[in-house]
Amino acid sequence: MSEVTTPVESTPRRGRTLRIVAVVVGVIAAAFIAVLATRQPTEVGQAASPLLGQPAPQIDGASLDGQPVSLASLQGHYVLVNFFASWCGPCHTELPNLVALARAHPDLKVIGVAFNDSSTSASGFLASGGAEWPAVADPDEHIALSYGVRAPPESYLVDPEGMVVAKIIGGIDQTRVRSIEDYLSGGGSR
Amino acid sequence: MRSLLGHGAVLLGFVAALAGIASTAGGLARRRPSAVAAGRRYVWLVLAAGVLATAAMEWAMIGRDFSLAYVAANDSRSTPLLFRVTGMWSALQGSILLWALILAAYLAAMGRRFRRRGGDPVVGWAMVAGLAVAAFFFGLMLGPADPFRHVAGAVPTDGPGPNPLLQNNPLVAFHPPLLYLGYVGFTVPFAFAIGALVTGRVGESWLVETRRWTLLAWGCLSAGIVLGMWWSYQVLGWGGFWAWDPVENASLLPWLCATAYLHSAAVQQRRGMLRVWNLSLLMATFSLTILGTFLTRSGVVESVHSFSESTLGPLILSFFGLVVAAGVGLIAWRGDLLRSPGAVDSPGSREGAFLLNNLLFAAFAFVVLLGTVFPLLAQAINGQTLAVGRPYFDRMVLPIALCLLFLMAVAPALPWRKAAAPVVRARLLVPAWAGAATIAGCVLAGVRGVLALVAFGLAAFAGSSALRQLATRVRRSGPAGLLGRSGGGMVVHVGVVVLAAGFAASSAFGHRGELRLTPGQSAAFAGHSLTYLGTRDARYSNRTAVEGLVTVDGRGLPARPAVSQFAGVTEGIGTPAVVSGPREDVYLTLDAVPSTPGGPAVIGVVVQPLIMWMWVGGGVIALGTVLAAAPDRSQRRRRLAKSPADEIEVTTDLVSGDVEVSRGAERSPVGVPGP
Repeated sequence: MSEVTTPVESTPRRGRTLRIVAVVVGVIAAAFIAVLATRQPTEVGQAASPLLGQPAPQIDGASLDGQPVSLASLQGHYVLVNFFASWCGPCHTELPNLVALARAHPDLKVIGVAFNDSSTSASGFLASGGAEWPAVADPDEHIALSYGVRAPPESYLVDPEGMVVAKIIGGIDQTRVRSIEDYLSGGGSR
Repeated sequence: MRSLLGHGAVLLGFVAALAGIASTAGGLARRRPSAVAAGRRYVWLVLAAGVLATAAMEWAMIGRDFSLAYVAANDSRSTPLLFRVTGMWSALQGSILLWALILAAYLAAMGRRFRRRGGDPVVGWAMVAGLAVAAFFFGLMLGPADPFRHVAGAVPTDGPGPNPLLQNNPLVAFHPPLLYLGYVGFTVPFAFAIGALVTGRVGESWLVETRRWTLLAWGCLSAGIVLGMWWSYQVLGWGGFWAWDPVENASLLPWLCATAYLHSAAVQQRRGMLRVWNLSLLMATFSLTILGTFLTRSGVVESVHSFSESTLGPLILSFFGLVVAAGVGLIAWRGDLLRSPGAVDSPGSREGAFLLNNLLFAAFAFVVLLGTVFPLLAQAINGQTLAVGRPYFDRMVLPIALCLLFLMAVAPALPWRKAAAPVVRARLLVPAWAGAATIAGCVLAGVRGVLALVAFGLAAFAGSSALRQLATRVRRSGPAGLLGRSGGGMVVHVGVVVLAAGFAASSAFGHRGELRLTPGQSAAFAGHSLTYLGTRDARYSNRTAVEGLVTVDGRGLPARPAVSQFAGVTEGIGTPAVVSGPREDVYLTLDAVPSTPGGPAVIGVVVQPLIMWMWVGGGVIALGTVLAAAPDRSQRRRRLAKSPADEIEVTTDLVSGDVEVSRGAERSPVGVPGP
């Protein structure tokens, strides 16, 4: 291969600067890799959240079909706040489990929050799965940000006093259904 | 049988890659060019292994061999042929196989392209680096990402098929392979950068040799990203195309670095500057493809692309660490050789503008990377779970994108070294007027919104600046003026401008709504008249569907937004229908099917202006990339001037008209004034 390199003088000072920069970049990269290496996959069912034990952020507004929805008005019941989207694969997988859970426990209220979804697609998605709970649109992601939601599906269990008692990342499968049922029967554990 | 063939092929690929590394590296260590050249032959074995393994997988998918766990999980008896073929990359193990196949093809092409210089140490070390990457990916398939694993227990008689969203649109046949052609293609310039650093031949020739490879990878990645946006728009039913999801960001990050590199490489080729920066950009581009694979396959970040998560995380992260360490270490080691022979004479020059462009692209990439991994960093530092949403990205990225549009307008008008104000003024006069006239025209037409107006004005400024350059080149050289870096590059600019205008218009001026209509009823929405004719049941090979029939503005065949039912999936999947036009798209979804025959249906409507132009812009970008890869006048002249004994490099910048001849270490401008 031909070379058209311009002559290069020996420049110890520049070489030293470059090495210092390289060491700094290397240290930052190593720290970054260490952070990544110590993260757990988010699949692990119930997750830590600064909201745990805190009052649940309010959800007030009109549901996708125009009815008023208020989280505060459901005090006295366990409420599952479910962030979902019609385009999200795991949301499709969890919907039948959620529908069965809601039917088996009429005392458990569910509020859906459409994440990055048009209200039209979201309501169509819920209706086609037989979901009968109210859902709200969240076009500016204000509700999602107040709960710390990064991607659907995510669910938060709010106790009858309005406190967040569990955060569930990922779809609700049978194991998670059972842990929610534990809460409802008064024996919930994290 | 298929499993045996697949396992054998994967093992062959892994062993051949290792043997190629040993043979080539051994030849390099003993300084025996013939041994180095012999190592190249192993790439053909690696390619044969990749083809065989892919053939075994496709044979299993098409033949519905449910004894393989991958087929049992991603195929079904009702899946149509096209989606059985594309099923190979609908989940993790098959995606790794596709990666390995494409990498093997790139390495074989590289071996063939440089066959006459097989003994050259730069080529030899590049081959070692490329084969090491291949060994890693074939190695993954020998262990945790085995695509040919047998099902545990009894062989099922049917499977669930691919995720319904991956068998809903033929674009799935193009979007992932194009993305992978892009990601994997960056292995070639990365490997040559390693070769240049190891041998210490860090001049401009390796960069010139790999320019087309980088362009090919960049063009495929660009097309893959735009097709992904189109697919998202056509399939997902929310009317959007980009959600700042980690997987989307993972494709954008290498694209941003590679785009910066394509510009700064021109500066190095022309002025010999930015050597460390260019090597760093190439290392970053390749590292970010690996990091993106880690982020999307390890499950550490939540993503809507949850088609495949796995336990590959630690292995991919270790490989990422190795790549970063090799890159940073080699650049530091060769620091003394990487001194640039010149400096930017004036910020108002082409190289000054390219430098600024690079800083903006680096800032863009940093903002996207930070937004993607910030939740992980925050969790590591104070244990808190934080979310970074669309508002962060929109707020941070928009100003950078507008500055880049401005630079796109100005930079092509600036000559190298130093710009004379009257020349620049003359070149920018018409584009600036075009930008101002566009803003005025938009305001008169009733368009409101400062950001959108600024975006339209800058797009017109940048677009007309690119068209002016193209017109100058075509006037001078005929259609050949469209070829080469400058000609093709300006066509790419036109594509980016068209895409940006479509993006700005559709984001700023969209309308969303919902109509409840009984059969025969019409309604007006955002200037369109929609008539709902009723529903019909449709049956396709992989799904049944309830389709709503809706005419838009009383023209053409009715659009058919649907709710589809795939075998093995209990809920309905919305399938939107899009009536596309150059002015605007009418996007329809069937949100609620009639509960009683002849009852009302709920139709979701999204009207977005100019969105079609985003896809047209993507096509123009792809066309521009092809034109940029074609040899321009200077390269044809260089070929004529080249003789084995005395190699001369002539680089011509046809925008400014400067010609430069390099012979050995000498470099002398024999400049002619620009237009």
